[in-house]
Amino acid sequence: MISSDIIRGHIDTIILKLLLERDMYGYELAGEIKTRTANKFDIREATLYSVVQRLEARELISSYTGEKSHGGQRRYYRITPLGKAYFRETIAEWKVLQDIMRAIMGDDIR
Amino acid sequence: MNRIKKFVSKLLKDYFNEQDKRELIDILSISLEEKVEDLVEQGTPVDAAVRRSIEEFGSTDDVLQAFPGKSTEFRANLVRKRRGGFLFAVFGYVVVVGLALFVNLWFRSFFKDFLWFVIVAIGTLFWPAAMLYRYRTVKK
Repeated sequence: MISSDIIRGHIDTIILKLLLERDMYGYELAGEIKTRTANKFDIREATLYSVVQRLEARELISSYTGEKSHGGQRRYYRITPLGKAYFRETIAEWKVLQDIMRAIMGDDIR
Repeated sequence: MNRIKKFVSKLLKDYFNEQDKRELIDILSISLEEKVEDLVEQGTPVDAAVRRSIEEFGSTDDVLQAFPGKSTEFRANLVRKRRGGFLFAVFGYVVVVGLALFVNLWFRSFFKDFLWFVIVAIGTLFWPAAMLYRYRTVKK
């Protein structure tokens, strides 16, 4: 299991990526991360929801109250145009970082 | 759901300014309540769902991880606040014990040489001691 220390700088990007695919509510985001990483990434909900609050304060995402299918109301989050632009920028940086790491590590990370 | 809000408020008690704290408490509580509702919909009894949500939620440090640039600032503010609390407790202690000592010695013959201010001095020692403990736990 990877600790949140290593991946901390990428939590924003992970959340934006998930919200780029579809709107989600807090616990749904937590569940989606667990499922996709097969529990390899242990992010505490306290961190996740706090990052969500920070992203909303920075207007990278926005929230609305929506109906959950077969359930009550949930506070859903959606990515904003600013969030999409920030996500694209981060992905470009990520690719540069990937190239640098590949160039240095070579076969060790293939 | 009152239990959830209380839990989150306690977690953030010493951190953030009032407005940020209110917003964060709201968002964290809503997300936790939604988790409880999801668990209940899946068949978990309400009490067990609340307990599980609180247990799995994480700590104050986990919240602070979401604010990497600010966590040092939050910590420094807390240390300052606790040091202030400790110094105030020491001042209060000195005033109370000093007053007791003065009354005790001034009316010594009335109290028949019984030095009861020692009881006051020991009895109120818990105040600065508790404040010192709180200060040291965050200073580490």
